Amino acid sequence: MSLKRIVQIIATIIQNSYIPALFSGGIYQGILKRYCTPILNCWGCPLAVTSCPMGALQHFIGLKLIPFYIAGFFGAIGIIIGRMSCGWLCPFGFLQDLLYKAKSVKMILPQWCSYIKYGVLIGVAGIIAYVTTEPWFCKLCPDGALIAGIPLVLADSSGDLKALIGWHFYMKIAILIVVLLLSLSIKRFFCRTFCPIGAIYSVFNNFSLLQMKIDKEKCIECESCQMVCPMHVPIWRSPKNIDCIRCLDCVKICPTKAINHGPR
Amino acid sequence: MARAKEALISAFLVGGGQIYSGRFWTGISLAIIFYGSIVLMIILWTGINAAFWGLLTAWILVWLFNIYDAYKGISYEKSPCEKACPAGIVPWAYINFIATDSDQKYPFIPFFNTLGRICLAPCECHCTRKGIDAPVAIRYVRASVRTEIPDDKHKPKKEKIAVVGSGPCGLSAAYYLSHRGYKVVVYEKEEKPGGVLGILIPEFRHPQEVLDNEIEVLQSTGFELKCGVEIGKDISIDELFENYDAIFIAIGVWKPIKLGIPGEEHTLDGFDVLRRIKKGELYHLGKVGVIGGGNTAIDIARSLVREGHEQVKIYYRRNIEDMPAESENLKEAQEEGVEIIPLTALVKIEKNSVTMIKTECPNGRDGPIRLIEESEFDVRLDNIVMAIGQDPDTNFLKDHVKLGKFGHIITKNGKTSHPKIFAGGDAVLGSATVAHAVGHGTNIAKRIDLHLRCMPTFIAQLLKKTYQPEVQLLPITDRNRMSIPHRDIEERKHDFKEVELRASKEELQKEASRCLTCPLRYQP
Repeated sequence: MSLKRIVQIIATIIQNSYIPALFSGGIYQGILKRYCTPILNCWGCPLAVTSCPMGALQHFIGLKLIPFYIAGFFGAIGIIIGRMSCGWLCPFGFLQDLLYKAKSVKMILPQWCSYIKYGVLIGVAGIIAYVTTEPWFCKLCPDGALIAGIPLVLADSSGDLKALIGWHFYMKIAILIVVLLLSLSIKRFFCRTFCPIGAIYSVFNNFSLLQMKIDKEKCIECESCQMVCPMHVPIWRSPKNIDCIRCLDCVKICPTKAINHGPR
Repeated sequence: MARAKEALISAFLVGGGQIYSGRFWTGISLAIIFYGSIVLMIILWTGINAAFWGLLTAWILVWLFNIYDAYKGISYEKSPCEKACPAGIVPWAYINFIATDSDQKYPFIPFFNTLGRICLAPCECHCTRKGIDAPVAIRYVRASVRTEIPDDKHKPKKEKIAVVGSGPCGLSAAYYLSHRGYKVVVYEKEEKPGGVLGILIPEFRHPQEVLDNEIEVLQSTGFELKCGVEIGKDISIDELFENYDAIFIAIGVWKPIKLGIPGEEHTLDGFDVLRRIKKGELYHLGKVGVIGGGNTAIDIARSLVREGHEQVKIYYRRNIEDMPAESENLKEAQEEGVEIIPLTALVKIEKNSVTMIKTECPNGRDGPIRLIEESEFDVRLDNIVMAIGQDPDTNFLKDHVKLGKFGHIITKNGKTSHPKIFAGGDAVLGSATVAHAVGHGTNIAKRIDLHLRCMPTFIAQLLKKTYQPEVQLLPITDRNRMSIPHRDIEERKHDFKEVELRASKEELQKEASRCLTCPLRYQP
């Protein structure tokens, strides 16, 4: 197992480590919930110990406040490592990585799909959340449906939550099914197309401290980096690609060692 | 229908077909997504609402994807060699069969062994192994690979198709179409089939028995071959229109380009020289110079060496590195004593002397050429052979289809401006390689098939079966690239037998095991 996989597993466990929830139900509401995790991990999950930055961002937007806390948080992480946390820490990205390992029909996503996530960020998590004062991205988020919605409703003994099930829940499940299905045949479908957190980090990819470096002299354009890339980024052509999650798989496999990483 | 059974199982049991074909995790994932969500919704059912229809769509999507996946099977990402191949060959698959000593046979591709002998091998240029030491000898190994003999012929269809030209492009198309069940007739102007392979490419690079063998296998699908029939002379094109539902033009390029310099009428045409040598008409040209830098020029020079010419010189107007010829061919020619004089252009030809001029070519093959003023010099040569390229001879078509500036046929996805005429090969692409011709011929034959069946291309794409070789990932060896065995220079200079020798099975296996099997190794 590679270092990346180990980190992904450990990160998934640490971020969702509120063991008492397994016995007593309910969600963790302690002091750690004031802090954001740098990736998409729903705070509604019974096991989650930290909060989701996207939920917090929409919360502030809904309150018609400028989200200084979240902006500073994203900025501080993005300016140092760019989109690296997507590759190493995100549990939902990890799940998609695993799903793609299944031997099935594989498809290639057109390049323009990468820009949909900016629409999601500005449209759904920004404008709609501002106008309706409700976190509309969270209502659509497949990660929320998978790790928060389903377990909460199933574990609910009082029946209060079950009474609330309506078309929202149906829609969330439908989105979850489609996202999981497409992740089987498209590399990290959700991350590349819809994830608004990825959209924020991807802006920093251009000038973050950690940068991918290509030695053009050594590169033989075999494109094995693109084959091994979990985001299908042609890194040899565009080392600052918005979809590069700095998982460093390409650095490891490059036959000529033409790909490097380091401070800019 | 190879995987129709799996698709059927999957239609009734989501994920079943995948598990049946040995893809356990795929089947389980699909089953969990599908049945898991259904069970969940049954537990949490609160009645139909607007979003229920979205949910239903998602389920139908999963079901359809599951059938489609069971039908298509695993798809690997394309390796660099596969992407580079104009003929659509999957090199890493057959290399892996040799390396693992597998019983599997590579599916039939027209002129497969021919392409093992005469190919520019773009696959080797893009080979990932090149980054470690040197590319795998993909081309050389291919010459020894036996492909599957096609036997699953489709049931006969009533449409008739004429193919004009029996070169690699024409025969590939004829093979594909007659395999599909069409009645195909191939018209060839010359006495024997094969186009450039039969008439021009010398025996020492591509033996006649290889060609005979290839054509025999292609003809086993049952198309008719009519040699010695020229369209526009022996049979009119209107006659073809009456008798056939589609006409595929693959006539290649045969009309020599003229330089337009004074005294050009004293030169010999390169194709003519090669053709006569191949027919066995021995003749002596004295001190001879060949003009050009392609494979034709080098083939001429090497053939002339074998005819007993002491001094054969090739004059090329750019640098040696810019020559479009195969580097292997070039190297062998130099070993055999062919002298290559780069950066020299013809100015004029008189009875007893030839005037040349020095050139400069700083920007490589695509850059312009500058003549150096007052650097003319005279050379004494008995004969000059021109091998500077050809244009297609498409005069007989000019009333029917739109032609380009140099007589090239203008096509869009193989279709010309005439609804019944399709065209492919060198006559469309300009002088290209045999690999391009095979790939182009097969692709356009597919288009003709779709056109006659009135089927849109995207449906054909969806239904197309993916090639699924059973391959193993082998560890990386640090073995160096094999040196391709050649016959001794002094021996091979005097006859027309093949220059390359075939290596033993063990040596090929060692070479093949150098392959990195990129699609398996570089999976995320």
